[in-house]
Amino acid sequence: MAVEQPGKPTLADKIYDKMFHNYVWKSIFRTGYPNTPRNQMLVVATNLFLHLHPTRIHRTHVKITHTYCLGGLTFFMFLGLTVTGILLMFYYVPSVERAYLDIQNIQTNVQFGQLMRNMHRWMAHAMVILVFLHMMRVFYTGAYKPPREFNWVVGVILLVLTFLLSFTGYLLPWDQLAFWAITVGSEIAGAAPVLGPKTRFWMLGGFEVGPESLIRFYTLHVIALPLLAAIFMAVHFWRIRRDGGLARPL
Amino acid sequence: MATAVVARPAARPQARARDEEVLVWPDLVFVEFISALLFTFTIFILSVILNAPLLDQANPDVTQNPAKAPWYLLNLQELLLHMEAATAGVIVPTVWLIILGAFPYFDRDNDGQGAWFATEGSVKLTVVSAIVGVVGTWLLILWNQGTIASVLNSWFGISGGDTFRFLENSRAIQGNLPWPEWSESIPYLPFELRILDEGFTGFGATTFQNVDLPSFIVEIAIPIIMMVGLPSLLIYVLWRIGWVFTRRDALIVLFSGFVAVNAMLVLAGTGFRGEDQDLVFPWNLSVDEGIPGYQPPD
Repeated sequence: MAVEQPGKPTLADKIYDKMFHNYVWKSIFRTGYPNTPRNQMLVVATNLFLHLHPTRIHRTHVKITHTYCLGGLTFFMFLGLTVTGILLMFYYVPSVERAYLDIQNIQTNVQFGQLMRNMHRWMAHAMVILVFLHMMRVFYTGAYKPPREFNWVVGVILLVLTFLLSFTGYLLPWDQLAFWAITVGSEIAGAAPVLGPKTRFWMLGGFEVGPESLIRFYTLHVIALPLLAAIFMAVHFWRIRRDGGLARPL
Repeated sequence: MATAVVARPAARPQARARDEEVLVWPDLVFVEFISALLFTFTIFILSVILNAPLLDQANPDVTQNPAKAPWYLLNLQELLLHMEAATAGVIVPTVWLIILGAFPYFDRDNDGQGAWFATEGSVKLTVVSAIVGVVGTWLLILWNQGTIASVLNSWFGISGGDTFRFLENSRAIQGNLPWPEWSESIPYLPFELRILDEGFTGFGATTFQNVDLPSFIVEIAIPIIMMVGLPSLLIYVLWRIGWVFTRRDALIVLFSGFVAVNAMLVLAGTGFRGEDQDLVFPWNLSVDEGIPGYQPPD
């Protein structure tokens, strides 16, 4: 790997120096601007968000066709859904009387409300598709093989959590589409032998989709499942690092 | 001298080849940034031109026809049309998820990791299994819908008459064969087993004592035999002709078949199921608010 040798300082270098080598900047980021290999490694190693990555990575793994960024994009969708979801939460009350009107209100009276709702919904669909494609990528590149066995299992759990997140969100607009989709979906769960009817009762908070179902799905959707998903994601990402990054041919 | 025997780990992290490595910043972070940007942009544009659907306010008295689950559950809803509810909706997906999670514990060697289709013949296996999955799923759906029988009859004049009517679809096996009366209630337990008998309305206890044999054959046995048997048969045939050698090969067949079948079931449920869950062409499906099958109330 050729190491860049610093040349004569130019005007740009001097501005860099003023901006990134001052007391305040260094107090926040510790390293200078990542324009030298040393700083580039330090910035990854010392930044909370970047340290999900190793400082160096095998050449083949930065090729877009190796992963198509599918796992990363799934995580990115999760982040985007969190942001748009929080914005929607400011205007949405999970009660049968208000839910539908609140969605209408978001769409008509709230600045960028329709846009936020659209983005939230399309990102949710995108996340389901991406997580499935990511699973296919991992399978066809043989990336579940030792020592990554358990991370595949964590991935399957995350797949189910993604479905559940999407499914619980589906009820919240409280329109005909939501109501009947959840009715059908919960009937599928209720068909389980022995435990089915009880499971459905717990899930809906009653025998039919109603006010109790709405508050249950809302709570699951905005706090319980995202927390659970975040925990499993943390395990998922941490284990990728522990197991030596992306799988590589022997 | 006692020697502690320490098993060598099955797989150790690979030795690092420093000269093969690049720095994460900028090489990887840049790629991530660009793909995040592209996706934000795409989702943003999509959201500007396409509104999320919002139908009329929920009304328990007005049933949607057809009422459909979210699209990623329509695979299960499609299965429900063909078999017993508990098996289709709960047991099959649960068992499949367990099998899926167990993949790495079945295929434990390190061959073919870290690159696309790295084992020999894996592309071939993927393509063949996917085609078999697609064709097989549609054939089974069309058969069970009676479409194959009616096409054979009306286009080619082939008809089995009343004798072979039971072959038209799986339900016809139940309805058009002379099952003796006792076969509809065969006891397999000497007493009635009642589970979760809570004794108030709404939760009937789950009881076990008798089996309705024709119904069991049609609703559970045939679908399960198809689901377990057809993939097994495919793997067996590919093994006999020398395409499947390793466990990895078998998993490729199983997984590719699953992806294809799953995609077809979702597609059938989304784009081909109209009023009363009848099979229709997508262009005959009334589509409203971007939702296939939604009928605006009159």
